[in-house]
Order: sequence, then structure tokens, then C-alpha cells
Amino acid sequence: MRGAFVAVALLAGVALRLAAQEDVATRLDRRVPPAVVREVEELASSAVARGLPVEPLIQKAIEGGAKGVPAERVIAAVRALAARLEAAAGALRSSGIESPAADVIEGGAYALGAGLSADEVAELARSSHEPHDPGLTLRVAATLAALGVPPKTTLELVRDMIRAGRAPNDILSLPAQVQAGMARGATPAQAAQGLGRAAAHRPPGRPPDRIPPGQAKPKPHKP
Amino acid sequence: MSEPFHPLVKRLLDGELSLSELPPELVAQGAEALRLLGAVDRAPVSLPAALEARVMVEVRRRARSRLRRAWRWFVEPLDVEVRLRVRPWAVWGGALAAAAALAFLLARPTASPDGARSVEAAARDSVSVRFVLFAPSAKHVSVAGTFNQWDRDAAPLMRAGASGVWTLTLTLPVGQHQYAFVVDGERWVADPAAPGVDDGFGRQNSVVAVIAQGARTL
Repeated sequence: MRGAFVAVALLAGVALRLAAQEDVATRLDRRVPPAVVREVEELASSAVARGLPVEPLIQKAIEGGAKGVPAERVIAAVRALAARLEAAAGALRSSGIESPAADVIEGGAYALGAGLSADEVAELARSSHEPHDPGLTLRVAATLAALGVPPKTTLELVRDMIRAGRAPNDILSLPAQVQAGMARGATPAQAAQGLGRAAAHRPPGRPPDRIPPGQAKPKPHKP
Repeated sequence: MSEPFHPLVKRLLDGELSLSELPPELVAQGAEALRLLGAVDRAPVSLPAALEARVMVEVRRRARSRLRRAWRWFVEPLDVEVRLRVRPWAVWGGALAAAAALAFLLARPTASPDGARSVEAAARDSVSVRFVLFAPSAKHVSVAGTFNQWDRDAAPLMRAGASGVWTLTLTLPVGQHQYAFVVDGERWVADPAAPGVDDGFGRQNSVVAVIAQGARTL
């Protein structure tokens, strides 16, 4: 009976790999050079076998093709992203998340790419519990690090905001607030530390510019 | 049609009983049966030699016809006996493999280019976002990002009078998205008003965080 399960698992794996390759070829058709399609197919097939998301790889290849980036540079970027996805998945599993969701792995990969360590990614994932989405938390951390906030300060700011009971929207708006602080002349680290101090003295769930429910005007907002 | 003989009379004809052993009411029937049997002409029949020769010629003629034999092979029913010896796990394995193949066929990507969520879900979790770029010398500006498959033609901005300000409002799903402006169809420009991240190709992508209605965004 064990042989049957092994056979079925192998068949299912082959089927998933074939589906991934077909999906990649369809999505990338006429968007990137054939060499990029072949490379991404291989990477996607390998990613599926290891339980990693494929969509970020496809998106990165499409982005490179749209921007007119040379094929070899697109391939290098997709390979680097695949390696970060694997590293992020490993970090998340080591933090106790047995089967991390695709968007969480992707968020972890971006955080690693922005300079956070595997331990910091794992710590953020552990800290980000309901109602916070670990994937979004990691993306916010990645953006903060990309703005120039040191990784350790980024970890402390986001983790302390979550521990203080801040809403997910407060976490999402951190990069804009850091950027605003930088516009006033603060360094990224100073801006982040200022936000951390302010959060420690503010009642949970009440950001300074919170709009009471029902009073928000549905006007578009600007990035 | 004559009346059939009694079973005891048939045994009499087979030599298993004698006439005296029959019951009295069957003695007459038995005697009649013996008379009829004795009246049969048992003299040997001799066939003419030519008949046998004619029969054998006809048999050989039919046997030599390849077309006839082929036709008979094709149309006549055959007795085919198939014996299978299988193990139960092989049966289950085959069934599950068929199920996996069916799942593979059903899981193939659809014609949707994005493979995206349903329209209803997208409408429920989407927020209007306004993109603005100051580019007074530009002839054409668009925005491309993870929300439109980096399609430089999908979302053109509109020039707001002669001020050099280009704007566009898009409905985006809640979450974090990366994007860049495309000026005159070839120059990719990060949004100076938004946080930027490395795009992996040596340039910068801008980041927008779209959160639920009533709260701030980037």
C-alpha cells in the first residue's frame, strides 16, 4: 500500500510541475525572450517541488520584460528572487510556521532582499498574529528597510507597534510616516525611532489622524 | 403427431426392460413400439463413389478461398478469455492516478490573463488610489505595476491643464503594490512622492499600501 501512495505522490508532483510550466509559458508568452521563459519554467518547476510560490517569479520576469531589461539580467533577478523565496520559507519554517502561505513567503523574500536577516524575518512572522497579516507585515518591514531604516530598528518598530495593539492599517502606514519624517530633515532611523516612541505613549487602536467610522469621505487618496 | 411413448416403454426399447416386466396397461404400447422398431430397414446403404469425390472437391474449393476465410475470421464471433491478476494496491493506485490526471486537467490555467480574483471580491476589497506625477515636458505618461502586469499601455495618466501635472485614479485591491511611471513610453520613473524599493534591475519601484476605506494610505 505504501508503494501506491508513493506512486500517487510522484504522479501528483509531475502533474503539478507540468501545470506550473504550462502556466509560466502561457503567462510569459511574447512578454520576455524565449531564454527567459525557459529559465523561469525551470525555476518555477523547482519552486513548486519545494512548496514555494511561483507568482513572484512570473511577475519579476514580466516586469523585466516590460522595462526592456536584457534577458540575462532578468534571469539573474528571477534567480536571486527564487533564492530569497527559499531562504524566506526556511526562516519562516524555523520560526514555527509549518506551511507558510505564498504571500508570507513572498513578504519574507522582500524583507530579506531589503536587508533584514533570516532571524529578523522569523521574529517578525512570529510577532505578526491576528489581526495582522504576516505577509503584509513583512512587506512593510521591507519597505522601511528600503527607505534606509536600519533592520534592527525596523524590527523593533514593527514588533513594538504590534505588541502595543496597533491596528494593521497603522502598520501599513509606517513607511509613509517615516518618509514624512525624512522630509522634515530626520534620518530614516530617527524618523522610525520617533514613531516608536510616539506609539508607546498612544492608546492602542487610536492613531493621531484616525477617522471615526462612518465619517470617512470616499475620496481617492494619493500614494 | 403421435403420442410419445411412456418412459418405461423407452427403457424397453433401450433393452433395459423386457416386455414381461412392463405393467399390464403398457404391454400393448410396448409391443407396438417393438414392432415399429423391427420394421426399420437396417440394410447397409452404399453411396456411389462419385458422390464422395464431389463432396471432397467442394470442401477443398471452399477451404482454398483466402478471401472467404478472411471474411469468416472477420465476421464470426470468437471466444476470447482474458484472465487478469492484479494486486489491490495497483487498482487503488491506478484510480488515484486517474484522479490526479483529472485534477491536473481541471487545474490548468484559464483564459484569464491575471488569474485574478473574482470581480465581486475585487470590488469588495478595492480602494480608489490617485496617482500624480509632475512632468511638464512629457508627451505621454502611464503607470505600470504589479496591479496591471506591468503593462505600460494599461493605465495612461491625463494631463491636468497646462500645469504639467498628470493624474489618474485607479481602483486597486487592498495590500501593497509596486509601480513606476512610464514617461513617453520608454522612460521608467519612480514616484518621487512614494517610498521606493530596489526592483532587482538596478532601478527603483515605488510602493503604495492600499488599506481599507477610512484609513490612511502611503
